[in-house]
Amino acid sequence: MIRLVTNPMILKELRQRLRERRAWLLPTLYLLVLAGTVSFAYYGSTDPEMRGNQGEVQGADIGEVIFLTVVITQMVVLLLMAPVFSAGSLTIEKEQRTFSGLLTSLLTAPQIWWGKFVAALLYLLLLLFSALPFLSLSLAFGGVDPGELLKAVGSTVLVLASICAVGLWCSSMFRRSVHSTAACYGFVLVLSIVTAVVFGILVSQWESHNPMLRGEGPPAHIQAPLFINPFYPLLALLGGGSFGQFSYPVSSWLLFTAIGCLAAAFAMQRIQRSGDQL
Amino acid sequence: MIEVESLRKIFRGGRGLDGFSLQLETGELVGLVGPNGAGKTTLIKILSTLLPPDSGVTRVAGQDVRSDPRRVRAAVGYLPDVAGVYQDMRIREFLEFFADAFRLKEPNRSAAIERALTRAGLADRPEDFVEHLSLGWKQRLLLAKTLLHEPKLLLLDEPATGLDPLARITLREQLKQLHTEGVAILISSHILSDLEDICTRIVFIADGKNVSEAHLSAAEGSAAPTIRCEVEFEGSASAVDPFLKQPVNVRVLEKRDRLLVIELTGGPKEASAFLQKLLAAGILITHFDARGLNLEDRYRRAFGKQTR
Repeated sequence: MIRLVTNPMILKELRQRLRERRAWLLPTLYLLVLAGTVSFAYYGSTDPEMRGNQGEVQGADIGEVIFLTVVITQMVVLLLMAPVFSAGSLTIEKEQRTFSGLLTSLLTAPQIWWGKFVAALLYLLLLLFSALPFLSLSLAFGGVDPGELLKAVGSTVLVLASICAVGLWCSSMFRRSVHSTAACYGFVLVLSIVTAVVFGILVSQWESHNPMLRGEGPPAHIQAPLFINPFYPLLALLGGGSFGQFSYPVSSWLLFTAIGCLAAAFAMQRIQRSGDQL
Repeated sequence: MIEVESLRKIFRGGRGLDGFSLQLETGELVGLVGPNGAGKTTLIKILSTLLPPDSGVTRVAGQDVRSDPRRVRAAVGYLPDVAGVYQDMRIREFLEFFADAFRLKEPNRSAAIERALTRAGLADRPEDFVEHLSLGWKQRLLLAKTLLHEPKLLLLDEPATGLDPLARITLREQLKQLHTEGVAILISSHILSDLEDICTRIVFIADGKNVSEAHLSAAEGSAAPTIRCEVEFEGSASAVDPFLKQPVNVRVLEKRDRLLVIELTGGPKEASAFLQKLLAAGILITHFDARGLNLEDRYRRAFGKQTR
């Protein structure tokens, strides 16, 4: 157990990551994007014209809008960043010709994988937690309880961990960072867009055959493609409103856990046989 | 230290190793020589556990590379042809990372790092970033890193690639020193003069197979040992002609005014007899150099006709 923390790969990876210029540039950009979207959400929820003159604005409504805006925006931004940090982490060792040094040391394939995984995830968590002040803003307005905030953060961490595991798998498969990163982005795109499109087609067919059941929301088998959509567990957890029909967050978590575990196993196996890529 | 018997490793595109065998004892410094694509790097990668062999026996320090790769790694130091370094790390951090990667515990860990810094000649600049080192210094650091866990066997694949002459000389001296310390070394290189200077034995490889020199001599029509003689003399080239026809064991490699290079069947005794004949005939000899074939000659004989 101690080995998981004292793994020399973790220290090396974190040290290298924090010495890169993007170590401070990315959090700055990330917080600027979040600040911009929160300001826009606040303006949108308080400006009478944008609200369509729907009467007096409630603090809880503002809090809910800010909360939803922040969790969705940070999921979008972190999904875009996760492949950059994970899919390039093994290929860069191959490109810089340092991988043979790792493979001929006493580090095992799981240790190499774990070091890379923790470093990639920790950097994403740094970004995620730097946005907590924005999320706590929604608590101040009301309409969101701390439990919802914890669930949203937990769900985001699980999805990001899975994407990092997939990124590392891609990184173990390819020789060049550009190829592994492109493959990982392709995967994220399939999960985010293709599943939504498939769901859209299925739900429209289902609605045309069951016009009477439209108000109840689609059944589980129609929602199934969305279980592997990174946004589904978030929307299902937050419930209520227009997302009330998404009601299977646990299935989604289990699927993301399975994807992450499979990707980890494949990546470790590939790392062990990486000698032919050097 | 190394026991390789009928080793086979075939890649999809062909080449690799095809029944190669090698024995390397403790304390030996063996040079691995062959043309590009002969299988040198493949052999070294298999010995360092980077590639699994298809078949054959491959033991390093008594351990099978397939069944016990971790023990093999603990006994081996491997330096690839183009080894990379972590440019954004400090020299001490770089060595600390590999000391931890080889599970060195205190106080051995600190001692090994200090020893490596001294060995690399970087003891006075451990806080410098690796990226600020020249190629020669990086190679010294890499060799020091490779020796951190005090391996019994060193596998070096073209370690002098890209080094300037001074760095090459330093590397040669370091390898000689390691050899005297009892580290077994297998080194692949195209710089034959370096190998000739430091190696206790040379092994030839081509098309993934052993190439024996006796076999090569037989192929050229002579299984007997030869000696190369370089003769400088006063007078015209025709003065030595009578001695080149008789006896028949003389092969002329080069002949022009005042210079004659020949290959004699036999050894120093035959060379001495040849010199005496020239002197007896009154030819004024200004320089006479007789020695066995050097590595370059042997290499030329082994692979000169190959077109790859």
